[in-house]
Amino acid sequence: MQEILEIPAAEFHQTARKLKEEKGMDFLRSLTGMDWGEEGMGAVYHLESTSTGATMTLRVRTADRLQPELPSVSDIWKGAALNEREAYDYFGILFIGNPDMRRLYLREDWQGHPLRKDYDASDLTNPLRMTNEEAVDTTETLELNPDGTLKVQENILFDDKEYVINIGPQHPATHGVLRFRVSLEGETIKKIDVHCGYIHRGIEKMCESLTYPQTLALTDRLDYLGAMQNRHALCMCIENALGIEVSPRVQYIRTIMDELQRIDSHLLFFSCLCMDMGALTAFFYGFRDREKVLDIFEQTCGGRLILNYNIIGGVQADIHPDFVKRVKDFIAYLRPTLREYHDVFTGNIIAQQRLKGVGVLSREDAISFGATGGTGRASGWACDVRKRHPYAVYDRVDFKEIVYPQGDCFARYMVRMDEIEQSLHIIEQLIDDIPDGPYYEKTKPLIKLPEGTYYAAVEGSRGEFGAFIESRGDKYPYRMKFRSTGLPLVSAIDTIARGAKIADLIAIGGTLDYVVPDIDR
Amino acid sequence: MFDFSIVTGWIHNLLTSFLPYGLAVFVECVAIGIGIMIAYALIAIIMIFMERKVCAAFQCRLGPMRVGPQGTVQIFCDVIKMLTKEIVKIREADKFLYNLAPYVVIAASVLAFSCLPVNKGMEVLDFNVGVFFLLAASSIGVVGILLAGWSSNNKYSLIGAMRSGAQMVSYELSTGLSILTIVVLTDTMQLSEIVARQADGWFIFKGHVSAVIAFIIYLIAGNAEVNRGPFDLPEAESELTAGYHTEYSGMHFGLFYVAEFVNLFIISGVATTIFLGGWMPLHIPGWEGFNAVMDFIPGFVWFFGKAFFVVWLLMWIKWTFPRLRIDQILTLEWKYLIPLGLVNLLLMVIIVVFKLHF
Amino acid sequence: MKGNTSSVGIKEAPSGKGSYLKNLFRGIGTLLTGLKVTGREFFTPKVTEQYPENRKELKMFDRFRGTLTMPHDEQGNNRCIACGLCQSVCPNDTIHITTDTVTDPETGKNKRVLVRYEYDLGSCMFCQLCVNTCPHHAIAFDTAFEHAVFDRSKLVLTLNRPAKPAAGNSSADSDSRTEK
Repeated sequence: MQEILEIPAAEFHQTARKLKEEKGMDFLRSLTGMDWGEEGMGAVYHLESTSTGATMTLRVRTADRLQPELPSVSDIWKGAALNEREAYDYFGILFIGNPDMRRLYLREDWQGHPLRKDYDASDLTNPLRMTNEEAVDTTETLELNPDGTLKVQENILFDDKEYVINIGPQHPATHGVLRFRVSLEGETIKKIDVHCGYIHRGIEKMCESLTYPQTLALTDRLDYLGAMQNRHALCMCIENALGIEVSPRVQYIRTIMDELQRIDSHLLFFSCLCMDMGALTAFFYGFRDREKVLDIFEQTCGGRLILNYNIIGGVQADIHPDFVKRVKDFIAYLRPTLREYHDVFTGNIIAQQRLKGVGVLSREDAISFGATGGTGRASGWACDVRKRHPYAVYDRVDFKEIVYPQGDCFARYMVRMDEIEQSLHIIEQLIDDIPDGPYYEKTKPLIKLPEGTYYAAVEGSRGEFGAFIESRGDKYPYRMKFRSTGLPLVSAIDTIARGAKIADLIAIGGTLDYVVPDIDR
Repeated sequence: MFDFSIVTGWIHNLLTSFLPYGLAVFVECVAIGIGIMIAYALIAIIMIFMERKVCAAFQCRLGPMRVGPQGTVQIFCDVIKMLTKEIVKIREADKFLYNLAPYVVIAASVLAFSCLPVNKGMEVLDFNVGVFFLLAASSIGVVGILLAGWSSNNKYSLIGAMRSGAQMVSYELSTGLSILTIVVLTDTMQLSEIVARQADGWFIFKGHVSAVIAFIIYLIAGNAEVNRGPFDLPEAESELTAGYHTEYSGMHFGLFYVAEFVNLFIISGVATTIFLGGWMPLHIPGWEGFNAVMDFIPGFVWFFGKAFFVVWLLMWIKWTFPRLRIDQILTLEWKYLIPLGLVNLLLMVIIVVFKLHF
Repeated sequence: MKGNTSSVGIKEAPSGKGSYLKNLFRGIGTLLTGLKVTGREFFTPKVTEQYPENRKELKMFDRFRGTLTMPHDEQGNNRCIACGLCQSVCPNDTIHITTDTVTDPETGKNKRVLVRYEYDLGSCMFCQLCVNTCPHHAIAFDTAFEHAVFDRSKLVLTLNRPAKPAAGNSSADSDSRTEK
C-alpha cells in the first residue's frame, strides 16, 4: 500500500504539470472518481514514470458536494479526457477545462450520479425510458472565469453539412456494442466521436453492495477474454490487503492460466482481425485452435469463457490430472499452426498492404493516452506489467517483452502474434515443475479488508488491468474500481484514425483489440 | 459430337407445320425464355449450394448438413423462405428506383447468361458481335447497383454503390482487353465461332504465354466485376454491413443474391468459352483412343465441368484472401492489370502476325 | 528490445521500393503461399461437431457447471440441513429456501428441516459460491447443459425431492428436472 499524496484542488493542475515535466510522470495509470461522504468528493490519480518506473498516487478533493469542481488534466494526459467524463458521469464532478463534459456511459437524461453515496437508486428517479436518446452534435466545455464563476462554452462536434455515419452499436466490425460516429469526406475519416455505455452494467456500483468473494464473479464479465487475469488482479489486491501469502503452487497455476488466457485472447484477436479484413477462412482456423484452449480451461475450471477459477487465497480447484499433458500437446500443436497463420494471412501481400503504415500511434501518444498492452508495445513503449511490476512467478521465468517501434496496425498485429509464442515459452518453463502444495489457503468465512486503499495490477490480455479498492473495514468495499484496458484504446481512436479510410478504421479497430464489456463495465 | 440444332430444327419444323410462321416463332421465343429462366434459377441454386459446401471445406467445416442428405435440400428451403418473406418498404426511399434496381441487375445477368454457348447448336443469343453484346449486357448491372445504393436513402448503401461504380467500370477495361486478346487470335467475335475454332486445341494452349496471361487477368478482373472477394468492397460486410443491398429484404434481396452467384457462373462460363474451349472435349494430339473417349462425353457436360472448375478456382481465391481497400483495388487495376493487359494484347498481335501460335 | 521480424519465417512483403516486376512476382508468391494453406485444408478432415446428432457421444467435462443439483441417496434423503448459507452467499438471490421446524419425536428437540429448495436457473451466474460454502456438500453442479425451456417460470427448479410420502409435502416437487 502506497502513501497517497493529498493535493489541494486549486494547485492540482500546476502540480500535475510539474510532476509530468519535472518528475517524468507521463503515464496516468488510473483515474478514479471518489465520494468520501463528509470529506467531500474528488479523484484518485495513479501515476507512473515511464523513464524511471517510479509510481505515485495523488488524491484531490473538493468539499463542495453540490457542485464539485476539479481542474481537468486532460491537457496533460490525453487519456484523462474519457476518464474524467466517467467520473463526471458517476459522481457529477465537473472537470474545468475538459473539452467534452458529456456523460460517458449513462443516458444524457439520467437523473443524478449513481456512484454518489447520496444517490437515490429507486425506480422513480430513473424509470425505464422508452424513448430514444437523441444524438447531440454539440458538447460543453467548462471554463473558470477570473471571478470563480463558471463559463460554459459550446463545442460543435459535427455540423449539419457533415456526412456522419454510425459505425455501431450494431455493426459487424465493432466486436460488441460500441458506437462510433464517424464524419466522412468521401471515404476519408475526418473525425470520430466515441459513444460508450451500450453494455454498461454498473459493475462498480454493484460491487459496493457485494461481499468480496461475490465481487469476484463480476470480474470475469469485464474483459471476457481476460477473465483469468482480471480475477487474478482482484484476488491479488484482496490478498495483499489481507496479507495472505498464496502458495507457490497457486502462483504457478495462476501464471500458466494467465498465459493460456493470453493465447486464447490473441488467437481470437487474430481470427477477428482476419474476419474484419475479409479473410473469413483464417478466422475459422483461429477459432478452431482457440477451441483447444477453451477445452483445457473447461476441464480444469468448469467454464469456457466465464472461468471462475481464482478465488481469494488460491484457486477454485486443483488442476485436472490431464492438464499438464493437454497443455503440452497444445503447445506442440500450436507452433506449426502459427506458421500456417503467418502463411495464410501475415505474409499475404493484401494483408500487409492493408496493415502497414496504417493507423500510426506515436509513442508519446500511446503513453499519454495510457494505451497499454499490445497497442503500447507496438508503439515502442515497453509497458508490460509483467516486467514493470512482476507478480506471480513472472520474475522467475525467462521471456521477451515484444516491442515494435512502428506503431502501425501491422506492428500491433505482430506484437500479439509474437506474444503467443512468448506465452508458449513461459508455459513451457513452468508446466513441468509445478510445485506441490495446497491449491488454496483457507480464509475466514467473512472477509473484511482493513481500512485503506489498495491497488493491484496485472498484465491483462490487452493491457494493464488494475483493481482499486477503498475499504472502510467493512465486508463490502467502499469503492471498487477497475482500470479498464480498453477505455484508453478507444479514447485514442480519434487520434489514430483521422485521415484514414473507412476500411482502415476497421483495421485499426481490429488491431487495437478492445473488448467492449471491459470499456463499459 | 452431338449437335443440338437437330432437336431445335425438328421442333421448328413441327411447329411451322401446323402454325403460321410468325406464331411458331413466337411460341419458340416464349419456350426458350422460360427455358432460360429455369436454367438460370437452377444454376443459381447449384452455385449457392456449391459456395456453401466449398467454403465450408476450406474452413474445416461441413456446411449445411441438416435438410436432406448432405444438406442438399437446404437451398430449396431457402428459396421458399426467401419467396415468402416480406419486402419491407423503406420510408424516404425513392420508391420507383428502389424497386426497379434489383430487376435491372437481374435483367443484365439474364441477358449475359443467354449468350453462353452450352453445347453445339445450343446457343440462344449468337451473332457476329456476340462478344461485344456480352460485354455490353453484363455492364448494365452496375447501373442497377448504383440505383440500389442511391435510392435506398442509406449512407452505407451509398458508399457501397459508389465503390462498386468505381470498381466495376475500371475492371470492365481489363475484362475487355483480355477478351480482345483472344479476339485477335481468332479474328471473330461470334461466341459459337470462337468455340468452333478451338476444335484443334483450346486457346489457352494455342495462344500459349499470351493467352495464359490473358486468362489470369480475365479471372482477376472478372472476379472484381462480380464484386466477389477479395474485391467484395461494395458489400464489405465488416465495413458497410451489406453495402448497396443493406436495405433490401425478401425476394428483392434474393434477386441481388442470385444475380451475384449467376454472374460468377457467367464469368466462369465466358472464361470457359473463350479460353478453355467451351463445350469442346479435351484432345491430345496423337492419342486417338483417348480422344475418341473424350468425344463420347456430351458437350454440355464438358462445358459445365470446365465452368464449375473455374468457379471452384474463384471460390478458392475468395475464401483465402483478405479484402483490398478501395485505393488498392484501383491501383491494382490501373497500375498493374491495364498496362499488363495492353502489353499482352500487343504480344498477341505479334504472335498472330508472325504466326507463332499453334 | 527492438523487434524487427518475427521468429517465424514470414516473407517480407514488397515495400514501395524495388522494381515493378519484382514486386509483382513477390506479391503473387505470397498469394500462392496462402492458397497452398487453404488448398491443403480443403482435403483435411473437418472439425464440425454435429451437435444434436452426437448427443450420445457428447460428454461434458466433469467439472463443467451445468445445473445446480442436490444429490439424493437411494432412500431419497439429501444432506441439506437448511442452514441457509448458500442462500445468503448467492450474489443474485438465485436460491430460495423454505424451512419448517419440526420436533423430533425421540429427543423432543426442535429441528429445522428443509421444505423446499428453489433454484432459479435463469438468474444463476454459476459462480460456485453456494457449492463452496455448503458445509455438508449437499449441493453440486452437474453437467446438464440443455437449459432451453418455453417459459421463464420453468427455469425455477425445486432441487430437493419430497422427503417421504408421510411428510406430506409432495406438492413441492412438481417441476424438478433433476430426476432425469
